[in-house]
Amino acid sequence: MIRRTLAPFALTVLVLIVAVAAVLIPVALATPDPIGMIDTFLFGPFRTFRHTGNIVEMATPAMLCGLAVALMFRAGMFNLGVEGAFFLGALATAAIVILVPLPGWAMAPVALAGGMIVGSSACVVPGVLRNRFEVSELVSSLMLNFAVMFIGLYVVNSVLRDPSAGAMVSYRIPADARLPRIVEGTRIHLGTIFAFLACIAGSIYLFRTKAGYESRIVGANPGFAAHLGLPIRSVMLRAQVLGGTIAALAGGIELLGLYQRFSWQGLPGNGWTGVVVAILARDRPLLLIPSALFLSYLQVGGDLVARNHDVPNEVVGLIQALILILVTASAITRSPRLLALLSGKRKEGHA
Amino acid sequence: MAAEPIIRFEAISKRYPNGTEALKGVSFSIEAGTIHAICGENGAGKSTLMKILFGLERATGGTIRIDGQPVDISSPRAAASFGISMVHQHFSLLPSLTVAENILLGQEPRRGLLVDRKAARERVAALAARYNLEADPDARVAGLSVAAQQKVEILKALSRDVRVLILDEPTAVLTPPETDELFRRLHGLRRAGITILFISHKLGEVRALADRVTTLRAGLLSGDAAMGDISDAEIATLVMGTTKTVPPLREPHGFGAERLRVDNVVLRSLAGADRLDGVSLSIRAGEILGIAGVDGSGQRGLVSVLTGEVLPHDGDFHLDGRSARGCSTAALRKGGMAHLPADRFHQGSARTLSVVDNAIAGAHRSSRFSRGAFLRVREMETEARRLISDFSIRCPGPRAPLSALSGGNAQKVIAAREFATAPTFLIADQPTRGIDIAAAAFLQGRILDMARQGTAVLLISADLDELLALSDRVAVLYAGRITAVLDNGPHLTPERLGPFMLGLEDAA
Repeated sequence: MIRRTLAPFALTVLVLIVAVAAVLIPVALATPDPIGMIDTFLFGPFRTFRHTGNIVEMATPAMLCGLAVALMFRAGMFNLGVEGAFFLGALATAAIVILVPLPGWAMAPVALAGGMIVGSSACVVPGVLRNRFEVSELVSSLMLNFAVMFIGLYVVNSVLRDPSAGAMVSYRIPADARLPRIVEGTRIHLGTIFAFLACIAGSIYLFRTKAGYESRIVGANPGFAAHLGLPIRSVMLRAQVLGGTIAALAGGIELLGLYQRFSWQGLPGNGWTGVVVAILARDRPLLLIPSALFLSYLQVGGDLVARNHDVPNEVVGLIQALILILVTASAITRSPRLLALLSGKRKEGHA
Repeated sequence: MAAEPIIRFEAISKRYPNGTEALKGVSFSIEAGTIHAICGENGAGKSTLMKILFGLERATGGTIRIDGQPVDISSPRAAASFGISMVHQHFSLLPSLTVAENILLGQEPRRGLLVDRKAARERVAALAARYNLEADPDARVAGLSVAAQQKVEILKALSRDVRVLILDEPTAVLTPPETDELFRRLHGLRRAGITILFISHKLGEVRALADRVTTLRAGLLSGDAAMGDISDAEIATLVMGTTKTVPPLREPHGFGAERLRVDNVVLRSLAGADRLDGVSLSIRAGEILGIAGVDGSGQRGLVSVLTGEVLPHDGDFHLDGRSARGCSTAALRKGGMAHLPADRFHQGSARTLSVVDNAIAGAHRSSRFSRGAFLRVREMETEARRLISDFSIRCPGPRAPLSALSGGNAQKVIAAREFATAPTFLIADQPTRGIDIAAAAFLQGRILDMARQGTAVLLISADLDELLALSDRVAVLYAGRITAVLDNGPHLTPERLGPFMLGLEDAA
């Protein structure tokens, strides 16, 4: 029994080791100091406290975006609006703290709440389109991400831009609005604790609440949900509202936790990382935590290698891509949901 | 005929990576030119054995000999090279192509780069004539009846120099006259020298068709005898073991008030086969109304209307005197409707979810299994354990995914869930199709229990024996109309229902 429960876990670990080795070894052999490069990549992140802290900092938005993706995937909704929601959530949060006069203590909570509402639209709009008109949420959310980005950049340039700064960045975020740092010597902030708690709450939601149960049923087999008389459309929409809200909040937290100004010139990619994290965790909220930490560890290792050896940190992208292929290859064989999506059949109860 | 058997299984065993032993050293022979039946409950290992023979799975021990030579059947392609072909329960035809295109798919006669249509048509016609299985080569498969599609499937299997034809429950989708027809064809194939392996749950059919029968139980060979040397009762014992299952019998009992009334329901929207053309029915408390009819006579339409899946174009139906037209599935279920769907994996369950999740779904909003927004997970698991023991469901545990269960056990989980709601009206749609004899007998007993407790039951079944064993009355559906409603009794036989099912007679 124990062996059976551990087997998939062991398999995943094996897949990860294979993916890292398959990219790292050939790349290392092309450098003058292969051993040194691998050593920096694998162990560098733990040599200084600051770098180890970087892992946790990076894992924070990855966990939250992963949670947003996992909750939507579980309900069978392949909504990729997390990227746009993360961007827009951060932007709206920045806009509120910069433009709205608020007492210091209220800044972060009000701005984050506003960011959640505005940012979630990147997921909610495709959700509503799916609900009303059967538009594929995959396609519409993917396209909307870019619309959101360009609208956002327009707002930055025309409303929030600080003319005294050299680049296209916003005014400074007031110090009162920033999330407090919680570990000396790193930039780990309050949002990290929130992300851990959110993953636990996500697990409780999926496995211990009526709404989560219903979303799992709808995601596992819409025909079964229809047979039971579950409100399929509202369950699907709810998952996307929830996912969008969490992703937008992640953007706000990232901004208030780590940034002095809103300075993104394009989509930051945290939403995509969330998709990778969720797939690696097989949509299990508690597994999002190790999954996000692992991917962040690779990223930090890659950044160190890029700085110290003549290797671009795109290697991390390569490793991620390979992990995705390997993990989804076995996920495809298991998941009827993905199979149904790939074969173009989307069974749903007749309305 | 050579003395050497065409196929010999020697100590075949199969152990899955998860430790399940599907076959534990099974040995027997199949003589060339015979019809050989293989019987066993679901999970007894007969499907696994056939998959091994057809190259879909590898045995973990033992040898298969063909004509005395040990062979390695690594894929269906390898099986084909030994002349072994299989007709699956679910057809693998392409509906938009013609009969000839389907049969010769992958082996089309060519003229240059093009398919030689004329030669293809001639080859199919010759094939059909040779085996006396008539088929129009130019007909589109989509327009054919299930029986005709099966014929195409058999022709497709025969198109590649076949010596051994495996038929997996070929009669599950056929009406009695179609079954008789199929059996005549199969006897013809045997005369043409083809060896037929016939998998079935129905002993009557095995008796009518087979020369020899092999029974499997729990992965072991439990019997192997010529049909002349063994009685039906003996086969049943070999299949099910010594536990005696009393064949369910209708007992006379009183009926209560009218629970379901269907008035002149018309449905046009679904595909042609499913239309309803003014159906009226009535079921009283404690009564089982059986619906007989050729597959596609309107059964699906009727179920879709009564479960609230579609709105009928005309007519109405009443549950306990209240009009239920336009009610959602949720409202109907709340009103006491329960439904054992025919398609147990697309409608009845979610295979990736656990047994608990499947067993409690639908009841999870009740105060018993939830408090506020939260589920009472322990309560759910306790109830699932109770259902598992009450329905003697064989499974690794309540948290195992439903996909780990055999078809019969999965159907029991679905039935346990639906019956646990104590419904006033139950739709049992093909409740025992394709599941093992023991599980079928168990579920039939439970359906009778439900009726005894006052549930009105609408029983739809392609198995006339089942209908006649359980029903108080039998209504026949033909082309979307009720052509007869007959009281059940010793006088009611499949022969009497046949003409109504085929539209030859109309008593309505």
